[in-house]
Amino acid sequence: MTLTISRRGFLHTAAAAGATLALPGRARAATPFTMQAAWINDAEFSGYFLAIDKGYYAEEGLDLTYLPGGPDVIPESAIIAGRADLTLTTPDTTIRAISEQGAKFKIIGAQYQKNPIGVVSLKKNPINAPADLVGKTIAVPPVNIVTVEALLALNGIDKTQVNIVPYAYDPTPLVKGEIDASLDFTTNVPFTIGQLGEEAQSFLLYDHGVTLYNDTVVVTEETLAAKRKELVAWLRASRKGWVENLADPALYPPQWAETWFAGTGRSIENEVFFNTAQKPLIDTPNGIFAMTEEDIEKNIQALAAVGITGSRDMFDTTLLAEI
Amino acid sequence: MAIERAWWRSGSLRNLLILLILWEVVGHLKLVAGGALPPLSAILIRFWIDRADYPGHVAATVWASVLGFVIGNVAAIGAGVLFVLFPRLQRLARGVNIAVFALPPIAIAPILVLTLQGMAPRVVLAALGVYFVTMTATVVGLSQYDTRSADVVRAYGGGNWRVMKLVRLRGAIPDILGGLRIAAPNAVLGAILAEFGGGGRWGLGTYLLGSLGRGEPARLWGIGLVATLIAGASYAVFALVSARILGSTRSVTLNTALPPSDADADAPLALRIALMAGAAALPFVLWWAFIRLTGVPEMIAKTPWGVVDYLFLADASATARAKLLAALAQTLPITALGMVAGLGFAFLLAISSRMIPGFIRAFMPVALVTQTMPLVALTPLLVLMLGRGLSVTLWITISVTFFPAFVLLVQGLQRVPQSVLDLPRAYGAPAWKELRMVSIPAALPYLFAATRLTVPRALLGVMIAEWLATGTGLGNLLNQSRGYLDYGMIWTVAAVSVCLSVAFYYAVLAVERRVLTRLGMQVVE
Repeated sequence: MTLTISRRGFLHTAAAAGATLALPGRARAATPFTMQAAWINDAEFSGYFLAIDKGYYAEEGLDLTYLPGGPDVIPESAIIAGRADLTLTTPDTTIRAISEQGAKFKIIGAQYQKNPIGVVSLKKNPINAPADLVGKTIAVPPVNIVTVEALLALNGIDKTQVNIVPYAYDPTPLVKGEIDASLDFTTNVPFTIGQLGEEAQSFLLYDHGVTLYNDTVVVTEETLAAKRKELVAWLRASRKGWVENLADPALYPPQWAETWFAGTGRSIENEVFFNTAQKPLIDTPNGIFAMTEEDIEKNIQALAAVGITGSRDMFDTTLLAEI
Repeated sequence: MAIERAWWRSGSLRNLLILLILWEVVGHLKLVAGGALPPLSAILIRFWIDRADYPGHVAATVWASVLGFVIGNVAAIGAGVLFVLFPRLQRLARGVNIAVFALPPIAIAPILVLTLQGMAPRVVLAALGVYFVTMTATVVGLSQYDTRSADVVRAYGGGNWRVMKLVRLRGAIPDILGGLRIAAPNAVLGAILAEFGGGGRWGLGTYLLGSLGRGEPARLWGIGLVATLIAGASYAVFALVSARILGSTRSVTLNTALPPSDADADAPLALRIALMAGAAALPFVLWWAFIRLTGVPEMIAKTPWGVVDYLFLADASATARAKLLAALAQTLPITALGMVAGLGFAFLLAISSRMIPGFIRAFMPVALVTQTMPLVALTPLLVLMLGRGLSVTLWITISVTFFPAFVLLVQGLQRVPQSVLDLPRAYGAPAWKELRMVSIPAALPYLFAATRLTVPRALLGVMIAEWLATGTGLGNLLNQSRGYLDYGMIWTVAAVSVCLSVAFYYAVLAVERRVLTRLGMQVVE
């Protein structure tokens, strides 16, 4: 059903592209621009959905293609392979790739000023600080193990004292008491736990020394040189989308029930909860995506605790200045 | 075929009904892991609530499966015909064939997602799932033809190609259809696995991913059942078609002359060695060509040489080797254990189905369902029931290995000639003694074939468990490497797991040849 629509959409676009080529006298077509998201469609990407729907990218001369992510999708791969111009990443992964593999990436903005990832537990068996993890079992997505090890190291806890098991994105084991805590987005999973009849307790890694951004906006140096104008345009349109979305976090998710959120298997109430909870983590007086010198320094320090060597030149704040 | 007919017998229906009622009761009483197994009615109610979500996902999954099924089978049948016409080509492609057969989808999926885009990873994984089954069925079907009909064509001046077209292809249709029937569910499962990992908005795998975080077992079971239904329906379609067609293509009398064997034994040694070397090299050549053709940059897509470089020459190669060896040390013993457990379970089932004839009928529907359930959906629930230790790994491994082994073993036991069975019976031997002295030795070729089939699946089962439940070994290493952007390791794990499966396969084959030659039996392909 949807396939036909998207195929028709594709044909339509193809035909339109053909028409523009044939008629050079007409208005200049928008520049194609592709972004790779970090996960499947949820409220984490509301600002972009809004900016697409309201035509903010089109106003900036961009014809944006949005690619959702998934467990096997490594966002950085999309920009290395040239499938996307820009992607959203976890900064530890990106910075490690730059310092250890010589990847030519630049971080040009940060969606989350404070990483929403935290330790989620149940109120009846609360884990309020890293020290409470000693002797407990925490489920962690294998990609985030380094982050948890950073948390333990920064708080002086030997990692052998905590039992780390894989997290399969399912909160059921937590609610059933099979595990004591899980590492997840604190903006998301507490809602589900509430739906399952329990009350969630959580703390942000950010508040315990792991002072990292998340969903850092990353491009290759090549793209940065070749498409600077488009990148600034993307940042401007995306910021506009985010500002409008965060003005009333409950307003837009319901409107996307049949479009962006159709068929995701998640409820709209969940997305509203997510959107509301992420507001303080994204909002900043310096303008959304901002990276202040102080915060960049905090990121570098947090990464140093786990042996990842970051440096100021991995961040490029000049595009933000041009918005 | 006996299996499908048994399906429709009332006994099977009655047993299924009993099972469903049992499920309902157990679900209501929350007997299994505090409600991780919801009652059937709850699953159906949830399905009804979610009904608007399904069409888009089902359409995407079916579309990818069908596309992969068609592409995989066209390649498989084409390859099968070529292999039969040019036996040396088959020898040359042997390495590729075994590699395709043995590759664990879970290790390949991340690589496909890295190198291809859009629907392509799903289609390729579905196509890879069907290729080996159909190719083998085609070769077997084309090789075993009625030489008398071929003689008629030749007598009228027909060449090899005419014999192929008029006799062999027609004669092979039942076999090919049998292959398609087994291949169809594979295509669906391949597509779902790639959807689960690979981004995109539609497909049951994507739906599963979105639903995992919701903590609603009823929804997960619902998606699992819909996937099962699709896979089962694809099986049924080809079962029906082959039942229709079979009637007209059987020869009425039995021809006792076997078709000429295509063994290349009298070829010069140099040629045989060249063919063997070529067979071993071809998979790597294809791997290299694939990367060149997709044009994915070197940093992401490693060539065979890239993996060698990563493991032995690069600066960090010592660390990489240590990580890999540590993971292998965790994965291999448990894989061997899981294989033995899976085979043992299949063996016990096959024996009991022999001793208690009604058993297969009761068990078959359940077994079929377990084979088509997407394991990724059920692993969190299995963890609740079994914890995260050895037992969950073993159960997952048994569940992915026992079925094909069981089917083969039952086949082997069924083919024991009646006259041989009559002897111990005439002497009043108990059933168990008859089984021990006659049926089991006679089914030995099938036991070996089952073992070969089990090896790669055991590795797949263990890796899934490691990835989602225990956080150890190769499965975990593969997943963790994503977080490190360690592309070299992702390719290494994929290559090593395929090589291991192939090596295991050949090890079993070597033992098999020796034992069967000594017993004067033939190897079952």
